[in-house]
Amino acid sequence: MKALITGIGWVTPAGCGQGRQTEEQPLQPGALQIPTRKQIFPKIDRRFGRLDDLSRIGLAAVTFCLRDAGIEDWQQKRPLGIVAASRYGCLQTDLEYLETLIPQQGKLASPNLFAYTLPNCFLGEAALRFGLTGNSMIINRQDSGYLTALKTGLEELTWSAQPGVLAGIVDLAPAAELARQDDLPGSLFLLLEKASRTERGSYGELELQADALFFNTDRVVNLSQLVANCLKGKKFPAL
Amino acid sequence: MNAVVINKIACVTALGDGVQSLWQGLVDGRSVIAPLRHFCTENYVSSLAAGINNLAAPSGGSRLDPLLERLASQLGEVPADTPLLVASTKGEIDRFETARRAGEPLPQSVLFESLVQKIARRFGLRDPGMNINAACASSTIAIARGAALIARGQAESVLVYAADILSEFVFSGFSALQALSPVACKPFDRNRQGLNLGEAGVAILLMSEDCAQQQKLASLARIAGWGAANDAHHVTAPARDGCGLILACQAALDKAEIVSAQIAAINAHGTGTLYNDAMELTAFNQLFAEGLPPLHGIKGSLGHCLGAAGALEVAVAACALREQQIPGTVGCDQPEEAGQGQVSLAAQQISGDYLLCTNSGFGGINAALVLQREAL
Repeated sequence: MKALITGIGWVTPAGCGQGRQTEEQPLQPGALQIPTRKQIFPKIDRRFGRLDDLSRIGLAAVTFCLRDAGIEDWQQKRPLGIVAASRYGCLQTDLEYLETLIPQQGKLASPNLFAYTLPNCFLGEAALRFGLTGNSMIINRQDSGYLTALKTGLEELTWSAQPGVLAGIVDLAPAAELARQDDLPGSLFLLLEKASRTERGSYGELELQADALFFNTDRVVNLSQLVANCLKGKKFPAL
Repeated sequence: MNAVVINKIACVTALGDGVQSLWQGLVDGRSVIAPLRHFCTENYVSSLAAGINNLAAPSGGSRLDPLLERLASQLGEVPADTPLLVASTKGEIDRFETARRAGEPLPQSVLFESLVQKIARRFGLRDPGMNINAACASSTIAIARGAALIARGQAESVLVYAADILSEFVFSGFSALQALSPVACKPFDRNRQGLNLGEAGVAILLMSEDCAQQQKLASLARIAGWGAANDAHHVTAPARDGCGLILACQAALDKAEIVSAQIAAINAHGTGTLYNDAMELTAFNQLFAEGLPPLHGIKGSLGHCLGAAGALEVAVAACALREQQIPGTVGCDQPEEAGQGQVSLAAQQISGDYLLCTNSGFGGINAALVLQREAL
């Protein structure tokens, strides 16, 4: 199973970014700043203010990834899928929703917050903004290397007619009692595509053999190493 | 491509334990939607849901714990090298709610990783497992992924485990969204007013045909096709033209290498909300331009079991193909005209080898499975 990595975008404690504009690997622990609308979209966007924080960072990372790949703008819907791995999912939104439920025994329960108590809702937000009609799901699996979404994304590509899949991670900082040392707060997506769009080039080829990932034939140990190798060695045609 | 068969199904629903209780209750047209006693509902638009009998949380545990025991006892042994795919939208939401209301720290068990590991341990599986969260299409997509793993030769067997329980957290949310029906829900009825929630656990063991034959396990049905697509329209409302559902169904038909005329019946999502049911009928009328096959939904009996809904409906569909009959759609007294007379309160005879199961959910997701009758 092989695919080209054609875009990378993120929101992490290092800030917001996209692969073609930097060589610094952005996945790191630390405090996460939730991006403002202006940092992501140049135009006024009424929907953005209604999103929960998980959706904001996930949507932002998807946006930067598609922008990096040169396919943010669209006229017709396209069958691109999204696979996002998350350890904590929408736990923070669950807590915020519960705070509206407990007082007055449910009378003040917030419908807007409840709508985001399913972590896949931000995938719907990304899908409608960018016309993405492929499969979309959140996955939870024990994985210290943060590679599960990439493996699942490659399988999705191979098993379906989708020409591309956005695969990545999304997590807010968890409640202190649940936090782990290897947490990577933020969101980062890679666009995996079956075929090359030659005008933009790619970062290289990602391959899944058995349960092991290889980037340009080198074994991938974890997501940070993969992204570092993508950013370090990138060479793109002049546009 | 390896053929994918369903070997074992275990289920626990408000109709009782086991597939036979489920099937017989549905064929008899029973509804188990009743006033809730789990929590006070006076501030919500409905007091109704379909709860499982005798499902109490152990001290410090979740109601999912006894559900797991009951499912594991029913299902029996699973090969230890079987990958595990879990489909749950809210996991141990009762533990989350209890801890938070008591001002206690959140336990690790509220994380899906913990839940999945607990299920893997109970079945003695080496695979740590993965939870798939795609709202009400979660278990449909889990079955699709399991089928793909087997079809591509990456696994000989896959265990799909789907479970969601009733909670005030979820109940209040659907109430706040004005999505709950104040009366027992009426899928595909002209006077439908919304959905009722339910709860269920379903475990389905999928195998390659070769593996099943080697282990001398009978096949209940085959998973012949699968597909999933996003509406790219709205986060909580379905696309009125059914564009995502049409794409998902077409992908499933293509994978099964059949045309829509070969579908003997449809097990629809049929939540009982105004927009979902209208969207589904629009999509099915486009897909089945030559005329709808018999169509039904089970949520008038069992409520909407969220992440477990799709797996539950696959269990019903396997029985329907074997018996060549679909249960009636409880609550559908005055079917929508767009149902072309193919939706009925009464059980209907069907004739054919393929049945289409569909689910749609928040986030704009749609998923479809084509089940194939096992040769007699």
